[in-house]
Amino acid sequence: MALLTALVRRELRALWHDPWQLALISYIPLLGILCLWWLFSAGLPRQLPVAIVDQDHSQLSRMLTRQLKANPVTDPQSFTDLSSAISAMQQAKVYAIVVFPYDMKKDLLTGHKPTIDVRYNSQFLLVGKLLSSQIQLSLGDGLQQVAGLKQLANGTPKSQVAVNLSPVKSQTTALFNRNNNYIGFLVPPVLIALWQLLSMLVMANSLNRELHLAPTTHADGMSNLLTEHFWPKVWAKMVLFTPILMLQGGFILAWLYLYLALPMAGSLALLLLAQLVMLLAVWSLVLLIFVVMRDSARVISFCTALFAPAFAFMGITFPTHEMPQLAQWWRLIMPSSHYIESHVSIVSYGATWPSVASQITSYWGFICLIPLIYFLSRKLLPTTVNTNAAVTVYDSDAAISAKGQ
Amino acid sequence: MNLSNSEHANTPRQLSLWRLILTEFKAIISDKAIAVTLFGGVLFYSVLYPLPYLNQVPTEQQLIVVDLDHSSLSRQLIRHADASAKIQVIGQVGSITEAKRFIETRKAHGLLVIPEGFRRDLLLGKGVTLSYGGDASYFLIYSAVVEGLVSAGMDAGKQVQLIGMLAQGQNPKQAQESLNSLHLNSVPAFNQSLGYTPYVVPGLFLLILHQTLLIGTGILGAGQWRHKGYWQQVSPVQLVCGRILAFMLIYIFFTSFYVGYCYHWYNVSIQASLGLVALWLLPFLLATAAVGVAMSTLFTRRDLPTQVLLLISMPILFVSGFVWPIALIPEPLVLGSQFIPAVPAIMGMLELNQMGASWASVIPKWLQLWGLFAVFFGLAMLGIKRRVRLLAEAN
Repeated sequence: MALLTALVRRELRALWHDPWQLALISYIPLLGILCLWWLFSAGLPRQLPVAIVDQDHSQLSRMLTRQLKANPVTDPQSFTDLSSAISAMQQAKVYAIVVFPYDMKKDLLTGHKPTIDVRYNSQFLLVGKLLSSQIQLSLGDGLQQVAGLKQLANGTPKSQVAVNLSPVKSQTTALFNRNNNYIGFLVPPVLIALWQLLSMLVMANSLNRELHLAPTTHADGMSNLLTEHFWPKVWAKMVLFTPILMLQGGFILAWLYLYLALPMAGSLALLLLAQLVMLLAVWSLVLLIFVVMRDSARVISFCTALFAPAFAFMGITFPTHEMPQLAQWWRLIMPSSHYIESHVSIVSYGATWPSVASQITSYWGFICLIPLIYFLSRKLLPTTVNTNAAVTVYDSDAAISAKGQ
Repeated sequence: MNLSNSEHANTPRQLSLWRLILTEFKAIISDKAIAVTLFGGVLFYSVLYPLPYLNQVPTEQQLIVVDLDHSSLSRQLIRHADASAKIQVIGQVGSITEAKRFIETRKAHGLLVIPEGFRRDLLLGKGVTLSYGGDASYFLIYSAVVEGLVSAGMDAGKQVQLIGMLAQGQNPKQAQESLNSLHLNSVPAFNQSLGYTPYVVPGLFLLILHQTLLIGTGILGAGQWRHKGYWQQVSPVQLVCGRILAFMLIYIFFTSFYVGYCYHWYNVSIQASLGLVALWLLPFLLATAAVGVAMSTLFTRRDLPTQVLLLISMPILFVSGFVWPIALIPEPLVLGSQFIPAVPAIMGMLELNQMGASWASVIPKWLQLWGLFAVFFGLAMLGIKRRVRLLAEAN
């Protein structure tokens, strides 16, 4: 115990003298979390510009334009000719084009079948899909009113008109994330991916530091030799950094579910527990990579390569069960994809302790890592001699770069 | 670095530009961390990042049905829903709560409720309401479920209407016409398959090129500033030119691989000509390399550039405006991001190559990239001058 407290104190000293580590646990997460949230803070896509090319200039086409104006998602902008609308769309100034053809109203009244052309920008998939459904909805509603007038003129009783027009009505309900809010949908996984990167970097930097220390014994009896007290040193790092990283994770949850008050069906305590398990899984991975690589630059670049695409593999933007098998396997390596399952089930479905516990068992692979890490550390660490040559340079580097930055 | 030192000892005279490029080239290749990031990273990410999206479109989403009607028409509706490419009906349950449990355990992603008296009400000429529900925690699944159900429901409605009209003695052709009196022809432009890789890959791959180039120049610089070397022997202008040209030589191949082969492999729609794309990417690569050299003068620890660039990758991706529309991003963030070469480059590339905009319309962004190149070239020179001075003072 005395050893552990001494080692924790040693870690604290190291942390205090490393401006980058201090940045990683203080203002970088704060800035990152707030900036990413700010980016998506609009939440619901509103007032997306849509080009209207009205070649008909009739009361009908103006009524349909007003319908589009009444829809909060679309913001119709008039274009006099098609070519200027097309070039505006190609420059992403408008996200869709609606063309009311010449003689649309006349054709409609004379029993011909005019065509309204709608083109939406599917290069921006999210915006395109949304606009496609909203434009159809608005125009469809407007056209029903026209058809309703026609029926009334034919002498259909008013009560019957609505039924005749659409005998089957549909009521679409978004279960869980009820108002289709993008903050509730996209921001939590984005922030969790950022948090995972931060925890990975903090641990990797702290472990890498051990590689660059001179193998001398400190005044307080602490040896800097890598192999000496390796596991207690790792424990000390965990004891120090777990609360700090949990504080960051807790900040994310508090910001989203307490301050912004996003809908939350389950309990925050369970989410924190899921975060803790994810954190330990991240650290076991970093430890494994460290033990195998034992070179600071390579540890960082390997961890980066591994963790950078974590967001794509979470299965929030693109569903997990639609991924190819290889991607589903790769996904299991990422602690964040295990966590996000628990996150969604707690936040959306209000999952309780038993179901969260059964989800946490999906981490079993990471437990298997621990004996492997232990075995490899016994085998490989003694072969790594602390690189004395780099020692002085590295330490003074850190000091000078702190001044230089 | 040792290698270049010894080489310099052999040739005390000023390095010519070509020799400098060659020296830079050797320094890049012989540095394991840089070589792994550039060659390994670019290849690895070209496979890994698009991997989850290879199936392009979510199809056959599991749907659970609550049929409270049990009539011929409700069964027909269920068959129609099942026939939709986007939906697969996995079973029927007796109540909505039960269906909800299916969704919570992820056995199903949507539910359809057919109300009691569905067929009877329709035949009596009363309106009925079908209820659809989808799990909106996953937007892509939700939109697939709703699209599939809405089209199945509309189809059922139309059939009932048609039968009703025929029964009233209208002739079939006219009945058809009065049902679809106006045709709404809604077609996706550009990414016509609505696929996911054509949506993600063009922007993402430019970002990967941008980030790896910055990391490469960053590590190379950070490793050198604290030591004497060939970089001191040449003037800052020469060093910046030589370094940018050396990285350009490598990145011409990487960019050709990404924009040429990978775009084709991942079914990205391509609209611009080869010459225009090359003309577009030239200032992008130059500006990025200049930013990289300028930024590298801020670091002296070789493990820092990778970490910093890793952390800002995601914000750059989201602020570049193809995931989340620029119109909705707060103005200060958009303005601030204009100094990052990837942001105008991605948007301009999408406009030029994926959406077929004319060259004239992307010229402002092209000039912006050249402007960034000029500004960061100057900053890189200032930074290197400062490093030379700091090193002289330290000795």
